[in-house]
Amino acid sequence: MKTIIELNINDEVFEMVIEPRTTLLEVLREHLAFTGTKEACGTGECGACTVLIEGKPKLACLTLAAECANTRITTIEGLVHDGQLTPVQQAFLEKGAVQCGFCTPAMVLTATALLEENPNPTEYDIKKALEGNLCRCTGYNKIMEAIREAAKSGESARNRK
Amino acid sequence: MSELEYVGKSVPRKDGPEKVTGKALYTTDLRPPGMLTGCILRSPHPHAKILNIDVSRAKSAPGVKAVVTGQDTLGIKHAFVETPRYPPDQYPLAMDRVRYVGEEVAAVAASDLDAAEEALSLIRVDYEPLPAVFDPIEAMDPSAPEVHPNHPKIKESFHNIGGKTESAWGNVEEGFARSHIVMENRFESHLRTHGYLEPQVTLAAIEPNGKLNVWTSSQGPFIKRAKLARTLGLPESSVRVQKTYVGGAFGGKIDLFSHEYCAALLSMRTFRPVKITASREDIFCAYRHGQPLIVEVKTGVRKDGTLEAQQFRVINSCGAYRGSGVVVIFLSWGFAMLPYRVPNLRYEGYAVYTNNPIRCPQRGHGAPQMRFAIESQLDMIAEALNIDPVEIRLRNARHSQEQLPNGDNVHNCGLSDCIREAAGHTELKQKYGRGRAEGSTGRYKRGIGIGVSAYFGGSLIYPNSSSVVVKMNDDGTATVLTGALDIGQGAETILCQIVAEELKIPIDQVQVIAADTETTPVDIGSWISGNAYVTGNAARVAAGEVRKKLLELAAEALEANIGDLVVDEKSVYVTGSPESRLTYQQLLAAGVAKNRGDPVIGEGHWRTMRDEPAHPSLATTKGRWSENYAFDAQVAEVEVDTETGKVRLLRAVTAHDCGFPINPLLVQGQIDGQVSMALGHALMEEVVMENGQTLNPNWLEYRMPCIHNLAPSEHIDVITESFEVGRAYRTKEVGEGYVSAILAAIANAIYDAIGVRLYSTPFTPEKILRGLGKLK
Repeated sequence: MKTIIELNINDEVFEMVIEPRTTLLEVLREHLAFTGTKEACGTGECGACTVLIEGKPKLACLTLAAECANTRITTIEGLVHDGQLTPVQQAFLEKGAVQCGFCTPAMVLTATALLEENPNPTEYDIKKALEGNLCRCTGYNKIMEAIREAAKSGESARNRK
Repeated sequence: MSELEYVGKSVPRKDGPEKVTGKALYTTDLRPPGMLTGCILRSPHPHAKILNIDVSRAKSAPGVKAVVTGQDTLGIKHAFVETPRYPPDQYPLAMDRVRYVGEEVAAVAASDLDAAEEALSLIRVDYEPLPAVFDPIEAMDPSAPEVHPNHPKIKESFHNIGGKTESAWGNVEEGFARSHIVMENRFESHLRTHGYLEPQVTLAAIEPNGKLNVWTSSQGPFIKRAKLARTLGLPESSVRVQKTYVGGAFGGKIDLFSHEYCAALLSMRTFRPVKITASREDIFCAYRHGQPLIVEVKTGVRKDGTLEAQQFRVINSCGAYRGSGVVVIFLSWGFAMLPYRVPNLRYEGYAVYTNNPIRCPQRGHGAPQMRFAIESQLDMIAEALNIDPVEIRLRNARHSQEQLPNGDNVHNCGLSDCIREAAGHTELKQKYGRGRAEGSTGRYKRGIGIGVSAYFGGSLIYPNSSSVVVKMNDDGTATVLTGALDIGQGAETILCQIVAEELKIPIDQVQVIAADTETTPVDIGSWISGNAYVTGNAARVAAGEVRKKLLELAAEALEANIGDLVVDEKSVYVTGSPESRLTYQQLLAAGVAKNRGDPVIGEGHWRTMRDEPAHPSLATTKGRWSENYAFDAQVAEVEVDTETGKVRLLRAVTAHDCGFPINPLLVQGQIDGQVSMALGHALMEEVVMENGQTLNPNWLEYRMPCIHNLAPSEHIDVITESFEVGRAYRTKEVGEGYVSAILAAIANAIYDAIGVRLYSTPFTPEKILRGLGKLK
């Protein structure tokens, strides 16, 4: 039976008619065209569909939309403000952490959540945070570099304050 | 020679902002109004006759708009290779017989995925199962079932021979007779898949005027257009394949796929857009993977390690249709003869039909399998002769300007420098042998190993050449029209850099319109390692023509000789008078006035081996192959846990002759990615098939490297070429040559650590422990 729910996505509220089995991924991609959230496996193995729910990385393909009522959902489309790339996005760009780009939105979101919670992550912290996100192009070397760089630029921004 | 401003710089990729913000649209993201969802019914049998297909219930199911089977097609066969010797062998939808589990039998278009899947379950297919064969050696036996009883094959005493390559030079027997030692070994490789993240997906939309629009996750639009048009019976001009972003390909998205054909046919039937997306399980089970090879290699060497003779027999299970199986046995010959001088060589390769899914190119396309065999054996030979692994490679490495036995020239070849740099940087000579020497007490053993490889950049396979158009805009910026498709390697970015350099226009003021069969000129495609060289030179020529026109306008306006003019920062001035310069904007305005409105546009064309009529013979290897060869040496340091048999790659060093890097940042990214892929190849990944059925069709059981498996990757550029404005250049490929030597280096490093020689990939804990005598 279909139900009506409200979803808060990138600080905008959407009223949606969904079935109980509808996943958050389906709502984002098929119903609302937030196509920055990618589907590569649909079974929770690759991390390409990662979004932030209450600031924490979650797999949209394994999350029911109905569970997300009254939560704050952030997709890749919600990161940019006033056309400005975030430090994580900027670092991914400059350090060559992007190739085909299919895993990139999820990587960027996961790294953003990591640095939010832990502004000075160790190598292991970074690996631990990104262990669920597959990338086939980069070998992860430049993704590590980018996140280190983003942490560094975040630190210098804080020092300036 | 003026200083380079854009070429050779680590410029961030052009499409980066779109990709990091999630704005980049991939085929899977497209959803035009009225779109239907397509689904494909696949054969459950590895080999069966189709007796009858009843689609009546499916057709009348709710939401279903069209159902098609082989009977609805024109029955035109296609294949990766279509030549008189190898006529196409595959229907886009099965007609009377299926030859592998997952072969496409019918397709449905419906209002949504649920309705489409429901309809598939209502299609009734009556099969008569036939005997099947899966192992290539068994398939060669005269008693084996025939996969293609009525299709032209190669006349052979063996069975099921889909293709054969034979080549020889010198006198191998005499070479072996002259040799100090002769070694003969057999190496085997295993089945791996590409692991592109974006699934195989196609959107087709027919227009009322009959034009078929196609968006598909691919490696180049022109080959797709040609094959779709032919199998659908449409003129090429009625099919338009347009650019989308591509979420990885690695060789797996080149050829025509049934889902592309079905999406198009269903759109033509329903007059609505139809999208078909392969599930990850489908990709693992029914789509095309790489090609495991059996490589038998016999090598004779002189006492000093000089190669005297080499003989190869390569067997490839090419699956139920030829796919690129007949190409890989040709290329394997090339990867055998490229890096080392072998005065006497005999090669034979067989592509054997089996009832497995079709096989296709996979990054390296035969090179990893061949180099694993050759480089492993070379280390064994070196040990037998008591020569170190660096010396034996230097002794046989090809040098600049050497002619290959097929008539190609290697031109500037930095291989010896690569070997020396990689070995020196890692102190290989000092470390080699230490792992085995340091007693047997420690649990963890370290080893170091080296491998060598080479790869071609561009060959003559349709569409053979690239053309580029550069047009000046009135504001002094430039727009590049190219058929090249950026699949993540950075094709658009490097073309911008080249045009920016020729015209001295900042990169952000060079726009690219790409990969559209209707609006952009033909391109060689992102699958034959020719983008930087072939398309790049076409872009250079086009930009050069624009430059010439701008200089002509400036010469007249400044009343100067062209030879006295300087191009700088979107403007032109007379040498010594930079203060009185004319901007491009001014020149273009002057040109419009003078030439009655004619704009400034340049076109450039480039074809590798311009005077060669066609590609080399896949049967005999005769004819030119390429005019562009990259070389590399890679060193691996590993740690082996002798209790568990697990291997860790501690360090990977790539010293490579890439000519010169157009964009060092992108080159590094290519190397890192290839090292990671080779790590997966060596230690982690295997598609496990039983009777043609994949047993591990997901990423939990097919383990690709995750961030914990990051391989420390170091790069050393050996520069052998250069870029100068206005001059043809020969940079080399970096997109797939570096998956090979590192694989061999890992095998050699494992041997160095524990004294266990592995003859097959992957290097599993089980094989290591068996080698150590800890498992029976």
